[in-house]
Amino acid sequence: MSGFSTLNTAVTGLAAAQRALDIAGQNIVNANTPGYSRQRVLLASSGGATTATFHSGNSAVFGGVTVEQISRVRDAFLEATRTAAGAKQSALQAQTAALTSAQTLLAEPGDTGLQASMDDFFKSWQNLASSPTNSSSGSVVIQNGAKVAGQLKYIGDGLSAEWDNAHANIVSVVSQTNQAAQDLADLNGQIAAGTVAGRPVNELTDKRDLLVRKLAELVGGSAIPGPDNTVSVTVNGISMVSGTSAQSFTLSGGNDISTAVSSPPTILWGSTPVPIESGQAAGLLAALRTDLPNVRAGVDGVATSLRDAVNLVYATGFTLGGDPGATFFAGTGSTDLSVVPTSASELAIASGAGKTDGAIAGAIGDLAIDANASLVLGGGQPPSSRWRDLAVGLGVQVQSLKNATTVQESVVAAADDAVQSNAGVSLDEEMTNLLLFQRSFQAASRVITTVDEMLDTLVNRTGTVGR
Amino acid sequence: MGMDRITQSTMSATALRGLQTSLGRVQELQQQLSSGKRVNVPSDDPAATAAAMTFRSQRAADEQYLVNADAAAARLNVTDNALTQLSDRLRGARDLMIQSQNGAIGSNSLGALSQQVLAVRQDVVDLYNTRYLDRPIFAGTAQGSVTVDSSGTYVGDDGDVVIRISGDATVRTDVKGTAVGADTVPALLTQIAADVAAGNSAGVNAGLDSLDAALSNVQQSLGDVGARQARVDSVRSLVDSARLDLTSKISDTEDVDLPETIMNLQAQQVAYQSALGAAAKITQVSLADFLK
Repeated sequence: MSGFSTLNTAVTGLAAAQRALDIAGQNIVNANTPGYSRQRVLLASSGGATTATFHSGNSAVFGGVTVEQISRVRDAFLEATRTAAGAKQSALQAQTAALTSAQTLLAEPGDTGLQASMDDFFKSWQNLASSPTNSSSGSVVIQNGAKVAGQLKYIGDGLSAEWDNAHANIVSVVSQTNQAAQDLADLNGQIAAGTVAGRPVNELTDKRDLLVRKLAELVGGSAIPGPDNTVSVTVNGISMVSGTSAQSFTLSGGNDISTAVSSPPTILWGSTPVPIESGQAAGLLAALRTDLPNVRAGVDGVATSLRDAVNLVYATGFTLGGDPGATFFAGTGSTDLSVVPTSASELAIASGAGKTDGAIAGAIGDLAIDANASLVLGGGQPPSSRWRDLAVGLGVQVQSLKNATTVQESVVAAADDAVQSNAGVSLDEEMTNLLLFQRSFQAASRVITTVDEMLDTLVNRTGTVGR
Repeated sequence: MGMDRITQSTMSATALRGLQTSLGRVQELQQQLSSGKRVNVPSDDPAATAAAMTFRSQRAADEQYLVNADAAAARLNVTDNALTQLSDRLRGARDLMIQSQNGAIGSNSLGALSQQVLAVRQDVVDLYNTRYLDRPIFAGTAQGSVTVDSSGTYVGDDGDVVIRISGDATVRTDVKGTAVGADTVPALLTQIAADVAAGNSAGVNAGLDSLDAALSNVQQSLGDVGARQARVDSVRSLVDSARLDLTSKISDTEDVDLPETIMNLQAQQVAYQSALGAAAKITQVSLADFLK
């Protein structure tokens, strides 16, 4: 045992305290960095050699303190929970956004919706019925018919645009996914190399976890730990990232709302469809494959049932000039519905050739009553009732999606809190650590001073007898 | 979730979340107040949307029924007037015929009476040709602008003219020309004028019987028209009260309850302010403030 070894012990203390202060500083400055996990210094005392050597004698020799590891505090289970919750939330948000826009297009309930236009349309037929020879009443009928057709087209086109919008989003989601997967594979490579070489990889690992979250929010991937601190990401069994290699996904399927049902948009890995269940992609796919096409089909149904009901009655009428009625509405759906007659004199409103009455106009006006329209359609669902069902059905769907989103938001918040509670930086804690390691540093310095003083006594003040 | 460790970032995240939620509620209430509507899109309240859409549609129909009822009433009024005048004129002709039966009357006077009967005939033809909205009211659904043409022939078709005045009621607004003698009376009056001029007492007597029969038909139609007018009036007032009822129902389902919403907004604002105050206080202090 020598006084010099105590100096060495004290020096390890100084170094350890400095390293710990260093880490406290790193934690403090990154307190608000997204994805940062707090780091901890693991100190260990190092004892002397346990085997007897020539110099050791029988007295203990202390090796001081060593920094064993700078560990990163992050619980993989909490992180996985947060990632999955975020993926589900993204799915709900994407689907809600698409359907909310569709709902706004309907403009119900109100004075400007399709319901009001259809009511106006039937009202103008009633008016014409009570003054059949009034050509301005006839013009109003034609204009109101064109107004209903125009509004149906506006809604139908709006839904197409909404679909295109969602499709553009999913194209971007797929390319972001591929980019993120590649980035993740690259990071895996750096992390593995760092880990093997014993370099610190904590910051890289934080970045990697952020990328895993991003992938989950895009396509619902989940992470599986691999060797050398790497992770693999799979999407419901389809491997996206494995070690340092990344797969890329492609999007197939229809490019517009009319082909969405016959050829539904699908995300492919090679030629294998990827079963996407969460993430933005899941919400967008739900909107693209079923929700928006369903609403569009509903609007088309309103258009065709209106066309059929009006035409069936109209065909039984005669113009005041005695010509039999043919069709009032032409078209096959919401976007191409049009009014055939162009002037009041072409309207078939009379109940017989050579008659001047508005009986048929009145009968068309009576289609405003659902029971009459249903009778004309042979028991089919009348247009007004279809429209109401569509608006209310969409309302129920959006409402339940919004409720689910709210619930999921609190799930994400709770998962976030749990992750943060474990991995987040507490400034109070770091302040305390600063104090603690400052004191350690001071104390270790004191040890050096003490040994110095001892040696001073030994070197300079002993052996002076008889001098 | 038990939280063993609280950090500054969880605290500020919680504070921010609370502020967001609170502010979101304030915004929702403000939107309701500024639009005046509780239901702006179907998802706000799907059940209320279904009700509001049905009510609106019914109200639109009722509004049209009121317009129809007004049109029916106007047409029936015109008909009523024409029939009243027709009955007056026919009575006038009857008086003239009775005068002509006076044995002391001279042939010159008979000629004058006959002329007067012909004048009545012209009035009667004009009355049969009474028009409403450019349509002859006694011609049914026939084309053309007259009921009785210049030669005195009835050209109407007795077709029904029906107007819907409520969801389940329609009313006929026509009076058939044949029911009020448009097909017989002009010729009858011509015949009577000739008989009067000729002093054909038997002919005039026979004419009187026919005229009485026509008069009685006109009276009957007048009664019928009066009954229909009464019916239109009563249905109209029913439809009108239904419409007002629907308007208040729509308001109940769609519109905001103003006092309640304003109270809620106040409460939310207070909540938001306290959340703001708490957030400001909590995040102000840290251990750094107490270290030297």
